[in-house]
Amino acid sequence: MALTQDIIDLLGAGVAHQVGGCTKEGRPSLCRGLAATVEPDGRLVVILSAESGFEVIAAVHDTGRIALNLTLPENYKSISLLGRDAVVSHGGAAFRELVLDRYEKFRAQLDVHGIPPAYTEAWYLRPDADLVAIRFTPFSVRNQTPGPDAGSALALANR
Amino acid sequence: MNRRMSDDLTLFGVRRMMEGVVPPALCTASADRMPNVSYLSLAEYVDPLHIALSFQFFNRSRENVLATKRAALTLDDPYTGAGVILQLEYLRTETCGPVFERLRAKLMGVASHVGMDQVFHLRGADIYRVLELRRVPGRRELPAAEPRVDLATNSRLLSERMANCGELVDLLDTLLDGLGELLRIDNAMLWLFDSAQEVLTLLASRGYEVGGAGAEISTGDGIAGTAVREGVAIRVGHMMNMARYARAARDRADALGFEPVLKSEIPLPGLKEPRSQLAVPLRARGRVLGALLVESKHDQHFGYDDEDALMLLCGQFAVAMSLMQPPEPEPPAREAPKIVAQPQTGLAVHLRRYARDNSVFLDDVYLIRGVAGAILWKLAAEFLRSGRREFSNRELRLAPELRLPDVQDNLEVRLLLLQRRLAEQNAPIQLEKAGRGRIRLNVKRPIVMQAENS
Repeated sequence: MALTQDIIDLLGAGVAHQVGGCTKEGRPSLCRGLAATVEPDGRLVVILSAESGFEVIAAVHDTGRIALNLTLPENYKSISLLGRDAVVSHGGAAFRELVLDRYEKFRAQLDVHGIPPAYTEAWYLRPDADLVAIRFTPFSVRNQTPGPDAGSALALANR
Repeated sequence: MNRRMSDDLTLFGVRRMMEGVVPPALCTASADRMPNVSYLSLAEYVDPLHIALSFQFFNRSRENVLATKRAALTLDDPYTGAGVILQLEYLRTETCGPVFERLRAKLMGVASHVGMDQVFHLRGADIYRVLELRRVPGRRELPAAEPRVDLATNSRLLSERMANCGELVDLLDTLLDGLGELLRIDNAMLWLFDSAQEVLTLLASRGYEVGGAGAEISTGDGIAGTAVREGVAIRVGHMMNMARYARAARDRADALGFEPVLKSEIPLPGLKEPRSQLAVPLRARGRVLGALLVESKHDQHFGYDDEDALMLLCGQFAVAMSLMQPPEPEPPAREAPKIVAQPQTGLAVHLRRYARDNSVFLDDVYLIRGVAGAILWKLAAEFLRSGRREFSNRELRLAPELRLPDVQDNLEVRLLLLQRRLAEQNAPIQLEKAGRGRIRLNVKRPIVMQAENS
């Protein structure tokens, strides 16, 4: 199964990223992600800060299970992608361009809400050495837009 | 206790992050450890160890929480960019009471902000124990915004001014003027609660084109009505649909069967597009006497500290208002009352009263109802009968036809309300104080009284 074009478009639309994990002992954790995109092999890669997301990274590393929430500030459109084959690796400078692209688009979204750029910079602009990449194959996509059908499954495309 | 707080953080200290500009994010996990992340509408500080989260939908997060009792929550400071993460243990869901009502009132603001007020519905307030609280590392935090005013110092100054007031009218003006001058709160309304009628009546306002004295809303309408009903402060920091929520005036004219031309509505004051509102109950002697509603054109204009300050000031106001209305001593012997014939010239003003709720109309324009309406009717009738213009509060208090509620705080307040309403209308009948415990009726045009039984 693969992501639909709608979801791929959403990845580059200026979304906020939230990444969740849970330890084997049942302790949930979450942190902000910085960018996400689809790799040529169809897997999703999400970039986050090692320092900010240390707890999530450790949980995902241990269990392979991950939840990625993408929410577009302009209309609250929100989806959640789940994976159970997540692999953690160093991200580094290879993802700098992607992170900057997502940063610019997200900042433009928040600007509409009157949130100044300096606010986003407070947690977005991380050094290359701090960037971690988590790759996973989404097996489930759920609608998380606020409303009665929040949590309902969304379709994936056939590869 | 396994609770851990790091970085000298306290839940109290981070409660301003729960204001809702940046929605809180929640992570739960199923019993087989599959995580789920979603945004919440609201998080609410309950006490130093507990928070409440809005429960609106039966979704995956809900399912997970009920199964595991665990959740993690992140909050972002809307000003500095700092973040905190909380480890939570689910305790219970409340479906009534002050925490639930605070969340519900706030949710209405959020819902209308995003155009989803028909969809959003608060099913409950989920109460969580905070097991851990720590700062999110790796953020370049911005300096905190300068406070609007020195709240503690200026609130104390305003409190001292109020303490020097000996009359209700001075107390009221001191509070409302002081809000603007000292606390930079330029838009305010003071509502009185009439428990017999289950309505709130506007006594005075500041910062609006219309004063609105005498306007009414039902208990539970808007955040002022909810603050009275629940006896708690309610603060909404988002732009909200004033027309649908905070200005939800009751349209009683149709229900009461009035002729359309006699519409018993007084235009409500209010900002067209408020971005922040705070309603604080007036509590004294174990009762809620009304509410102060303040609002602003700016997002997040009122914080927890404003709420705390106004709770203290409104408590002082409510107690003082009660103490200022002791039963009057027997009036000293006076000269014979001055008798004045009613004016014989000028266009007659028609004073019409509907008996069922004592609503009074002046030339078919709704003026006031309830106790205040009954007082005006009595004064005018006595004036026409005897020519007497001065009346003691005591005789009004003892007048059986007024059916004053058996509470001391009513008459003075109703007289002040009536006085302000007549003044706002520039009516040909006016009221003024005539010394301690006495009022004087000033009539500029001939009066024709007409009682309606319907």
